[in-house]
Amino acid sequence: MSDFDFLFTAWMVVWAVFFVYEISVAKRIGHVREEIDRLKDQLNSQKA
Amino acid sequence: MKALRATWTLFAKECRLEFRTRELLTATVVFSLIIIVFFSFAFDPTPAESRRYGPGLLWIAFFFAGSLMVNPSFAREQINDTLDALRMAPVPSFAVLSAKILANLLFLSIAEAILVPVFSVFYNVSLVGIVGRLILVLVLGTVGLVITGTVFSAISAHARMRELLLPVLLLPFLTPVLIAAVSTTISLFGDARELDRTWVTFLAGFDIVFLAASWILSDFLAEG
Amino acid sequence: MKARIPITLLVAALVFFGGFAGLFIAPDEATMHEIQRIFYFHVPLWTAMTLALSISCFSCIAWLVSRRATFDLLAVAGAEVGVLCCTGGLITGMLWGKPVWGIWWTWDARLTSTFVLWLLYISYLLLRELIEDPHRRATLSAVFGVFAYLDLPIVLLSTTLWRTQHPQPVLFGGPKSINHTMLMVFLLCMVAIVGVMILILIDRYRLERLRFELDELRVEIESREMDAQQLPAKQAVPGKELPAKGTA
Repeated sequence: MSDFDFLFTAWMVVWAVFFVYEISVAKRIGHVREEIDRLKDQLNSQKA
Repeated sequence: MKALRATWTLFAKECRLEFRTRELLTATVVFSLIIIVFFSFAFDPTPAESRRYGPGLLWIAFFFAGSLMVNPSFAREQINDTLDALRMAPVPSFAVLSAKILANLLFLSIAEAILVPVFSVFYNVSLVGIVGRLILVLVLGTVGLVITGTVFSAISAHARMRELLLPVLLLPFLTPVLIAAVSTTISLFGDARELDRTWVTFLAGFDIVFLAASWILSDFLAEG
Repeated sequence: MKARIPITLLVAALVFFGGFAGLFIAPDEATMHEIQRIFYFHVPLWTAMTLALSISCFSCIAWLVSRRATFDLLAVAGAEVGVLCCTGGLITGMLWGKPVWGIWWTWDARLTSTFVLWLLYISYLLLRELIEDPHRRATLSAVFGVFAYLDLPIVLLSTTLWRTQHPQPVLFGGPKSINHTMLMVFLLCMVAIVGVMILILIDRYRLERLRFELDELRVEIESREMDAQQLPAKQAVPGKELPAKGTA
């Protein structure tokens, strides 16, 4: 591996780390939002 | 004065509890002995290697055994809800914490007093002329270990898997103490047999900083 | 949050141009040549980590003082993002070390201390997972968070106390030997990486905030279910009257 290969790998690792994490957070936000909506519906039906 | 009296009373209680059965002390000494003996099987050190690597082995044994020893400090107070009783007692929370710190310091020091001569015999490391300075290093290192160990015992007492969690919290935290204590002990065991003042100051500084932090945060620990 | 889209685009542009500048525009360094360019990602990652962990520690203290849930949520978000930046820093450090030192890792003071810091914050996150009661979890992890943050100065102190193979600090404390173009590229990469960290931190905080709302909803539903299951108030024990509502 040449020096540039190490350099490029470093750059890709940094962005993979941030990108994968951000996607995982976004997915979890989506799941939690769905669960909140479901529970709000349940709560509203209990009040009714 | 009231706080000091409370600390003394609670410290005496801890000692009475432990010396009735001596189970914690016995287990700590035996566990440390096992580590010391296993090291010789794993590495088969020469006398020169013993002087070079022995301090590291000794401190690792104390740290591992110490992290197991401080675990019951708060964990056993959960039986019969004695922790709630301590919280409701009209004593400062730092008095409770410092009593347990002092008790752990005493028990671990007793274990070390037994183990260091055993180590010097097994690994042919002479302690002549360095006993006083070695005691200073042992005390400073052990104080750092028991202060943080007791605080983390209070934290992990309420968690699941507390027996595994406490060493996971504590051992990385104590890395600077390990490095400092081992470096100082290596220079004491070496040919020059001198005390490295920089590391001794570092150890003392670590102990003061985290004792102060424990004092400031003790009320929150009691509430947790 | 409509402003997020232009901000995200701006940071993406900075990141792209910063990377391009770091790889192709910055001049070659005298001793390490090409591989020195990892400096433009590696050092900003440490800065982002320090900032994230500082936010976490500040939030731990703020929780202990004010007991506002916002601070507990921010503490865990900061810690997790800090661990992320630390991981990136350790990996880029290894990718720098292999061609320069010939080894992936060495147990010198700074690397060791940084790895210990990584372990400490991993244990902080583990501690939070293992305590179930929310109030207790917030308080005890805040105490541990403060202790863990006090380790940061020991990391910084380690480079001066111990001998180290790590390159001596160029910008802070070392000789002022940085070229002007290098400095501009470095600042650009710093802004980009710290900007990305802040955006991710905001998102992570949002996730915690939503989880908090979810827990509150669950508690409300459970309490309504328990109320619904209670015996009607008209049922009385013979010979004994139940107290009227509102009386002792």
